Amino acid sequence: MSLLDATQAALRLLLSGDPDLWGIVGVSLSVTLRAMLIAMPVGISLGYLLATLRFPGRRPLIVIVQGLLASPTVVVGLLLYLLLSRQGVFGQLQLLFSQTAMVIGQVVIALPVLIAFSLSAIQGADPRARETAVALGASPPRVAWTMLVEVRFALMAAVCNAFGRVVSEIGCSLMVGGNIAGVTRNIPTAIALETSKGDFAQGIALGIVLMVVALGINTAFAFFQGESQR
Amino acid sequence: MSTLTVNTLRKSFGQRRLLSIETLSLVAGKSYALTGENGSGKSTLLRILAGIEAPDSGRGHYGAASFDWQPYPDSLRREVIYVHQQPYLFHTSVADNIAYGLRARGVGPGQRERLIAAAIAWARLERLLTTPPQKLSGGERQRVALARAWVLSPKVLLLDEPTANLDAESRQQTIDLLQGLCAPQCTTVVACHDRDLIAMPGMQRLHLVGGRIEQPSTAAE
Repeated sequence: MSLLDATQAALRLLLSGDPDLWGIVGVSLSVTLRAMLIAMPVGISLGYLLATLRFPGRRPLIVIVQGLLASPTVVVGLLLYLLLSRQGVFGQLQLLFSQTAMVIGQVVIALPVLIAFSLSAIQGADPRARETAVALGASPPRVAWTMLVEVRFALMAAVCNAFGRVVSEIGCSLMVGGNIAGVTRNIPTAIALETSKGDFAQGIALGIVLMVVALGINTAFAFFQGESQR
Repeated sequence: MSTLTVNTLRKSFGQRRLLSIETLSLVAGKSYALTGENGSGKSTLLRILAGIEAPDSGRGHYGAASFDWQPYPDSLRREVIYVHQQPYLFHTSVADNIAYGLRARGVGPGQRERLIAAAIAWARLERLLTTPPQKLSGGERQRVALARAWVLSPKVLLLDEPTANLDAESRQQTIDLLQGLCAPQCTTVVACHDRDLIAMPGMQRLHLVGGRIEQPSTAAE
């Protein structure tokens, strides 16, 4: 099957509303959205605290977070697998090969991105913003909220970046999700599987969906970056 | 009737001792022009008084209460307002900027709206309400910042070079606003080089030299 034939078949598959294919898309988006909903408040809060608090070990902690930005997702998956497998510390929770395990994995992958970008955004903010909020009598939580609002475009860029990283990751999802059809099979793991079976049409169809999502995220990322620099 | 008193205040940056003030009393209702060479510590002193920066050591007294500068007392934070030399306006509307301190004080929506309207009228900001704060000129930003301070009726108002870097018209508008800025019991400290500000009626001069406050005198002297 030529690339053109496979692409035409993929488009037909997408437009036909194939339940298996759209089920895979649903798993992908559901897992990633849940992971982001958990990771966003935690990551942005930790980024803010790391940017504003001074404590022993802060610098090494920042270096570790920045180092984790480049952590291979398959290694995250391996560590999580060891923790969640029967012999693992959390084995009795029986989470391995479930969407919950995939969500946990994606949270772990998204957190360094959110923390590092939020930290950078807060550190890069005009120092007068914080001083003005303090001088006008704002409480520490209000000061924190004000700062996050002031750097909102940079934070949205952080969220876009983290979303883009986790929606397309395959290593962790494969390790802790197990690529079970209808349960934990998401777009990246399905593409790998279908391609290995020679079913290029479904692989390309899912690839198109992933590309559209990634393109949308990157467009939003570029928009927010532009807004933050205005 | 002493509002805010500073005792044995010390502040250094590295090896350099910037401030070494034995006693400074700011009396309620008085206005002070804080003068001194560039780098003499005027801004740092105002920032310490506002609780934005901490001194190395020192004691403060506000009314009957005595305090260390760390932590800066909450009661003081609600009554002392500091305005930057180049005021920062939040990325929201002009009205929301004026409302910021009122929200922080828990002022209800009805009263807040009335106070904001009064502040807008006072600083003649009506024509700027739809302009994004980041698009305002230096003089317009200064007026918004003064309205944001005025609306809170502060007991102590600290202004850092409010007329610096302004064109003649904006400078005059700012000086006009400053003359009606404070209630009778409000203490005002204006760090400045501007002779017209120093010569404002009732202005008492505090001169910083070598980190110390020289004997206060009236501006006319």
